[in-house]
Amino acid sequence: MWLPLIGLIVGIAVGFMLDWRVPQEYSSYLSIALLAGLDTIFGGIRSYLERTFNVRVFMSGFFFNTLFAAGLAFIGGFLGIDLYLAAIVAFGVRLFNNLAVIRRIVLSRWINQQE
Amino acid sequence: MLQKSRKITFILAIISAIIGVMLTVQLRSSLHPAHKESRSIAELRTSLQKELEKHKNLLADISKYNQLYYQYETALNEDESLSVMKEELARNRKMAGMVSVEGEGIILRVVDAQVNPAEAGLDGGMTEPVIGGYTIDDEDLRWLVNILFANGSQAVSINGHRMVATTPIRYVGNAIQIDTRTIQPPYELKALGEPDVLLSALKLEGVEENFRLANKEIIAEKRDKLIIPANREQRPIQYMKPVKEKGES
Repeated sequence: MWLPLIGLIVGIAVGFMLDWRVPQEYSSYLSIALLAGLDTIFGGIRSYLERTFNVRVFMSGFFFNTLFAAGLAFIGGFLGIDLYLAAIVAFGVRLFNNLAVIRRIVLSRWINQQE
Repeated sequence: MLQKSRKITFILAIISAIIGVMLTVQLRSSLHPAHKESRSIAELRTSLQKELEKHKNLLADISKYNQLYYQYETALNEDESLSVMKEELARNRKMAGMVSVEGEGIILRVVDAQVNPAEAGLDGGMTEPVIGGYTIDDEDLRWLVNILFANGSQAVSINGHRMVATTPIRYVGNAIQIDTRTIQPPYELKALGEPDVLLSALKLEGVEENFRLANKEIIAEKRDKLIIPANREQRPIQYMKPVKEKGES
């Protein structure tokens, strides 16, 4: 259970040590990818709480979502269509949806425990 | 089962590590955007350049219209001042001897004196210059010119050479030079001024007596209209420049 948290901390540390900087014009793609990754993470937590967690779905969702979000935003930039806005809206809605579901599940479990 | 869950946690750890890297990179990029500053500085420079150019053009427009406004407003005054300037220039040119002038004045001819018949036979013609003996030299002419200037003459010429403030009269070789031009006797001086004043001044200074010593006579004539030519000498201004007064302008 603690391993993912350790992984997160290690990732943050590595990120600080690598000192990568994304140029301004590419930072929107990274933010899209990050949003997709967060969405996948919360989706994974939700499916875990709903006991429908599948590691393959999770992994494929993570990589495909991030890459496709960034790729779509990139293509949109080429075509002059703000596709990254669509990605942000879609992932944002899903993120809040997942968060709401997680909150309800946690809350109902807590209430059940109390009772 | 245990192995599977370990595998899952391992995968989750890797994914969270990736997420962590992405987070930090995004954080750093948004906190200190790479190349953002230099790029924006270049853009700012170009836009600043454009704006400066626009500003300059606008300033030029303003000054143009101001000038136009000033011209319209002071059209009359400017005409007046221009004519004043022209008058002043003409006056200065006259005073500096750069233009021919005319007016009433006197003509002085320095000629050989009317000598006794006996001496006349010896000396020869009346208008011929005396060779040998006491002759007119530069000192005499300077003295004469000075007397004329001192008594209100405003323009003097010797044998057609206009005297100005810097005109030298000097003895070079056997002849008198005015500026750089040699003059030969008989000497003829023209002076613009009040004729009576000038004549009486000459008398008072004892010019006639002095010249008689040199066996010369001065024939003075009053003229109502006398033309004195301009000074023909080129005078490049070389050793002087106007002193700019502090506090002015």
